[in-house]
Amino acid sequence: MKKYTNLTKLLNDLPLKDGMNLSFHHHLRNGDGVINLVLEQIEILGYKDLLLSPSAIFPSYTGILKLLQQDRVKHITTNYLNGPVANFLAQHGKPSSLKMQTHGGRARAIIESENKIDIAFIAAPCVDHKGRVSGLYGPSACGSLGYAMEDLKHASVKILITDHYVEHLDDSQVKDVDIDAVLVLDSIGDARGIVSGTTTITSDPIGVMIAKNASKLIETLGLIKPGFTFQSGAGGVSLRVTDFLKSYMEKHNIKASYFSGGITKYHVEMLEKGLVEKLYDVQCFDLDAIQSLKRNPQHYAISANDYANPSNPNRVTKGLDIVILGATEVDINFNVNVTTDSYNTIIGGSGGHADTASDAFVSIIVSPLLKARTSVVKEHVNTITTSGKHIDCIVTERGIAINPLRQDLLEKLKHSSLDIVSIETLMERAYSYTGVPESTTYKGKPFGVVEDRDGTTIDTLHKKE
Amino acid sequence: MSRSYLFIPGDVPRMLQNLDVFEADAVIIDFEDSVAEHEKDEARNLTRTFLKRHNFDTPSIYVRINSTDVFEHCQKDIQALEDLPIEGIVLPKASLASLKVLEKLLPRPINIIGILETPEVFFEVLTLAKYPWMKGFILGAEDLTKTLNISRTVAGSELLYARSQMIFAAAAASIEAIDTPYTDVKNIPGLITDIQTSKALGATAKASIHPNHVRYINEYFTPSQVEINEAKRIVVMAEKNASMRFSLDGKMIDKPVIERAHNLLEKAKKYGVL
Repeated sequence: MKKYTNLTKLLNDLPLKDGMNLSFHHHLRNGDGVINLVLEQIEILGYKDLLLSPSAIFPSYTGILKLLQQDRVKHITTNYLNGPVANFLAQHGKPSSLKMQTHGGRARAIIESENKIDIAFIAAPCVDHKGRVSGLYGPSACGSLGYAMEDLKHASVKILITDHYVEHLDDSQVKDVDIDAVLVLDSIGDARGIVSGTTTITSDPIGVMIAKNASKLIETLGLIKPGFTFQSGAGGVSLRVTDFLKSYMEKHNIKASYFSGGITKYHVEMLEKGLVEKLYDVQCFDLDAIQSLKRNPQHYAISANDYANPSNPNRVTKGLDIVILGATEVDINFNVNVTTDSYNTIIGGSGGHADTASDAFVSIIVSPLLKARTSVVKEHVNTITTSGKHIDCIVTERGIAINPLRQDLLEKLKHSSLDIVSIETLMERAYSYTGVPESTTYKGKPFGVVEDRDGTTIDTLHKKE
Repeated sequence: MSRSYLFIPGDVPRMLQNLDVFEADAVIIDFEDSVAEHEKDEARNLTRTFLKRHNFDTPSIYVRINSTDVFEHCQKDIQALEDLPIEGIVLPKASLASLKVLEKLLPRPINIIGILETPEVFFEVLTLAKYPWMKGFILGAEDLTKTLNISRTVAGSELLYARSQMIFAAAAASIEAIDTPYTDVKNIPGLITDIQTSKALGATAKASIHPNHVRYINEYFTPSQVEINEAKRIVVMAEKNASMRFSLDGKMIDKPVIERAHNLLEKAKKYGVL
């Protein structure tokens, strides 16, 4: 492994050429400095027809925007994006400009050479002289490096970029990988943007009602039993559900087997209280999660492959009993959109949404039925992110809809006091406040696709008009 | 027979739109303290438009009007409520004098819940309780303690006299005694202590200013299984004893106790625990 301290020199030594596929990860989130540094140099060097494969694109990733504005990016594959790059693509995207995958789908595509990475530029919070790498140490510590691991294993050229180079690292998060080069810089990111610090349990009254309904549903379905497995996002409502579960588990002396996905201080607290045996962490959302990953042997950093690759029979998501997820829109066929708003603005993407919904025994969407003055449940979603066949329950403040495909769940809920209604009734309840919305979206020319985790296209992304 | 009364501001669309999802037995739409002076008309218009379009079986809907001290607002409030499907009005700074003013403004009899929040009112509280349209009292501890220049505490000893006066007068007139809201919104242990205190003193319900408090209030003001079992035994024994006076577990049971047992079972039935 060759060591560099100058990015330009490194790039001069790499086999860069037009049309190459360059990958990055998003563990440093909005505090990432690597992607912009690298792409600014790529811009100066004049390469074009680039293929970019960042695992996600945050608003601060303006290096991509500059290349897009110069028409030097042919295609982007990613799992989640919002901000200026997302807006540019929705306004100017050309055919085949964008492919949106799931976290598990991205790992699968890389492993199966469907997405062949030429050079992986991996922001690495700590690196030693043998190319061992960890996200746990250094000024840019981010915890788990789950989304970077397949890039490091399968890219033709593997580059680590660090601001914390040490002589020896005992606990490398990536094993059996031959790193081609390490670039040591003064800084690879802004710590303030790496951990968001916004992972707090909601106290919004509507959010609390939704979480309460979801918790009652989980209880009534008899899903909270010794050894159960669970995943919730870091959203305020999801965390409130987790908090309700915690109280129930304490009261009934129940210990879960594992929690997975993005990990927060709330999950860590439950691990430390002995309410859950293990945490499978593909991404740390706060400093408490990073500290726990350092000290607690039952807190495991896992790769996207181990987390959710649909071709991996031992993936963690396959063992999930319950997953709690959000939604921007849900339609009467239970299809969920977390990718675009109704004006075709890209506001996110699947991440692990479709992965976990597809695998979990029960997938539960928690969402207000009314957001501002519009209904979340409607006849058609603008974009399908997760197919309705994988969504089991929609929990709102005004009732719960169960997918008719899950007659087993409906049977269990037959005598419950929960407000179980059809999805059409939920929609009508919302429309009684909002009125029936006019179809406002004119769909412009297609420029991208939403891909399911197995590589099939489930929807098309259209330009804004 | 409501357990919880939730105040929501009348000028906030999101709160009005969701008034039926917070699980409060009664909602009090506020035109008074939570609505800024320049938003009063907005609150009246919004509430009127909303309640014209949406009719609720549950929760019961009340509106807190402005006090008769601010006559113009009070008058406009009453006009805005005309022909709306509401259960009644909540009158701030209730007093016999304010009722006289209100009587002239109201086109017809209406249920009134009076807020007891001045020191003076406690010298006429029984007469006020027996006023024919009066259906309940709410203790207004914030204004009252402000006037008395004292602080509220978790133990609530400073409110003992006022709470007891309200509860005694309400009980004597068979109207609701609704305890004051707990204002330390995030302090749930403090809220629970406050609910337990008011229930122990004899309050029949509690008001709240935050939706997240409602579930705790409902929980504590719903008859417990122990209370239900006891009431059931009393009712069964009463049916067997024509005299309406008998001994149960060494305690003397008579008519008021039997009536209380009936009321408790009725309440338990209403809130789905029987």
